[in-house]
Amino acid sequence: MSMNRRDFLSRTAALGVGAGLLQLNPSAIVSPAFAQSKPLVFLSAENITGNWDPTAHTTLSQKNVEGFVMGFLVRNPMTVENPDEVVYELAESLKLIDADTIEIKLRQGVKFHDGKDFKAEDVKATFEYGSQPDRPAQWYPGPTETLTITTPDDYTVVVDTSKGGYPAHLFMFLAGFLPIMSSADIAQGPKGPISQRLNGTGPFKFVEQRGNDTVLEAYEGYFKGKPVIPGINFSFVGDSTTRMLSLMNGQASIVERLEPEQVGTLEGNDKVAISRVTSVENKYLWFRCSKAPFDNPLVRRAACHAIDRSVLLEVLGDAGAASANFVSPVKFGYIDLPNYPEFDAEKCQALLAEAGFPKGEGLPPLEYITSVGFYPKTKEYGEVITAMLQEQGFQVELSVLEIAAWNERLYDRPGGGPGHMIDCGWSTGSPEPDLILRTHFHSSSKRITGIEDKELDASLDKERSAATLEERKTILQTETMPMIADKVPALSLFTSVMIHAHDKSLTGLFIYPDGSMDASKATLG
Amino acid sequence: MALLSFLARRISQGVVIIFLVTLLIFTLLRVVPGDPVRLMAGGMAPEALIEEIAKEMGLRDPILVQFGRYMTGVVQGDFGQSFTRPASGASTGGTGFGDSSRGDRADVLTLIGDTLPMTLQLAALAVIFALIITFLIGTPAGLAPNRWPDRLAFYVSSIFVSLPNFWLGIVLALLFSVKLGWLPAIGYKGFAYTILPAIVLAIELSPVLIRNLSGSLSAVMQSPFISFGRVRGLGRRRIVYGHALRNASVPLLNLLGIQISGLLGGVLVVEFIFDYPGLGLLTINAVLQRDFPLIQGIAIITSAIFVLINIVVDLIASTIDPRLEY
Repeated sequence: MSMNRRDFLSRTAALGVGAGLLQLNPSAIVSPAFAQSKPLVFLSAENITGNWDPTAHTTLSQKNVEGFVMGFLVRNPMTVENPDEVVYELAESLKLIDADTIEIKLRQGVKFHDGKDFKAEDVKATFEYGSQPDRPAQWYPGPTETLTITTPDDYTVVVDTSKGGYPAHLFMFLAGFLPIMSSADIAQGPKGPISQRLNGTGPFKFVEQRGNDTVLEAYEGYFKGKPVIPGINFSFVGDSTTRMLSLMNGQASIVERLEPEQVGTLEGNDKVAISRVTSVENKYLWFRCSKAPFDNPLVRRAACHAIDRSVLLEVLGDAGAASANFVSPVKFGYIDLPNYPEFDAEKCQALLAEAGFPKGEGLPPLEYITSVGFYPKTKEYGEVITAMLQEQGFQVELSVLEIAAWNERLYDRPGGGPGHMIDCGWSTGSPEPDLILRTHFHSSSKRITGIEDKELDASLDKERSAATLEERKTILQTETMPMIADKVPALSLFTSVMIHAHDKSLTGLFIYPDGSMDASKATLG
Repeated sequence: MALLSFLARRISQGVVIIFLVTLLIFTLLRVVPGDPVRLMAGGMAPEALIEEIAKEMGLRDPILVQFGRYMTGVVQGDFGQSFTRPASGASTGGTGFGDSSRGDRADVLTLIGDTLPMTLQLAALAVIFALIITFLIGTPAGLAPNRWPDRLAFYVSSIFVSLPNFWLGIVLALLFSVKLGWLPAIGYKGFAYTILPAIVLAIELSPVLIRNLSGSLSAVMQSPFISFGRVRGLGRRRIVYGHALRNASVPLLNLLGIQISGLLGGVLVVEFIFDYPGLGLLTINAVLQRDFPLIQGIAIITSAIFVLINIVVDLIASTIDPRLEY
């Protein structure tokens, strides 16, 4: 066999490369990525705010992180079967002394993650801090000066609301929603550690924010016992297909906000389980009530009667459930309202004629704004609503915007919010109906609609000030809610069904109807 | 000397291009719908507060005044701070204006510095894969025009060019990650996470490269110097690999420069689908959040990279083919 110089060089080079390749460990490239990670990996559809102060935001994904880390006086599972159920956690009892006074007895032997003992001073500091008018979340029923909070001993808190003119029982529902912070953290102010990390009494401890990953680990000193799973990685992944693929290949343990068609795909996967929870979130068609033509309740009602909500539910599939009220069926006071506007073309035309717009003639061109990327099927059912309104004579144009642009146009502003109608959901993890009704329909707040209606204000004030919960429920169901259904500043289209998909080996996880979770008893694998 | 003059000329042209790109992006961002102050302050912030913040930040000044202020910072190496991201680098949103962590915003340059290496790694692997595919398919096609290797190259290129990258990404993730379990797909915890997105980008890049290589190789093989090579007694392998491919590579290289510049479009989609923490994902989130300083910073850096790539490509081309002048 002959070999020239070139052949020799090329063959020795090839031998060298071959020898080098033999030294490579391909498993270093491929295998480790599939080693089963023990912590629970949660992929969220929404990003966090970057400020960990629970009173600084209303962002759902961050509420979910707080659900793992923070302690609550009570929790409200808010199931459709038992919407009034209360599970005591940091509180051992909540007792109404009179209409203006509530006494909260606290659990002893609980410690914050930083080692501080949980005491009455923490509840007092949390309530007073959260009620400050400059706190962006504004979950509390009145500003700090309307509250008198005393702590007769280390484990008793007494809240007196008489200065504010609203009843103390409002704190019963909010107790399940407001995370309790350490008084030591609060004392250092909103620029202190409270904004830089979470410090709670919940089952998981905040470790760090690593890029888009929020890293939590099981808290050894959790008062119900250390969780079985060693930790949670909570990550923002914006694309729903990416979230689904992560679950399918085992990288994620649980993903949220599934699109209805993804449910079908995942139901055929024997390693994945689907969880459906009727949520606290209703989706609404909000009317801009402070400008024409929706400043006229007749036109609003006409628009509502033009919409066949059963068709929207067909579009939504598993992601929506029928409801006939302005709050979710798991909220306090829900009933199917007898006067809730249903599809009725004749009634729509009669109302249009009565308003001076027979068959829609004379109505201005209307803009209906919706979003894509967060809520399921918004564009699809937005097109259906647009077509239905057009059929009855409304000249509607649908604007489909990505989340940031939609969010920028969402709220009311002087002269009325942009467009004439806008799509949005509202989700608050508490049975308290006023977190929606008062927030949106009282003229002191009127977040999206811009409505100012003295009759509505009076009715909302009346139900809020009712001396007992029973009395309040009666006023809500017989007066306030029917009145809102008559004036329809917004049309609640349906109740969202929170769809999560998770690794089938994940058991013992409880999902609340706002999407937050109790993983203290969860096991994985 | 010629090299220095070439570099000086190309770099000064590059500076003008970067300046124009920056001005264009800066202006466009300010005329498209979506007020970043509304996003920063929170939707519920009163109009008066929005205006106050906007004035405080100089966002109501004429665009040219804002641009001048911005460029003054840029030439001093200050690309500003992200409107929305905290120093941890997390993608954030929905925060209220009174937010105490606002003083702790991430520097634009830090965010780009953290993500750019990830994208360069992805792009480099994609180019390597694309060149492997191109040479494996394009060389036989160029050596056998109008015969089956050429037809095969045509069909493969046609299929590759017809595959949308978002669809291909999902299909490959389903196949290699979900079904076969060979490769991870989502996020980044090691080099293996780069492979699938790089394959998607390589498939997007390779059709034009394959057609270009096969076409130029086939033309080169008809050249007189190839016949002279045979007369000189050179073997076919020596002629093809030592002479023909070298000459056919010059147009390929120029094309590659343009293709790499166009890679950013693919990187945006592919990084989003694979949740790959590179410059593409950062860009998408910055656009969704109207994070003006971040978008501008990314535009400047990427246009600078494009300019550099094209200078490097010209340099390499002239090294391969000394007949080309600077």
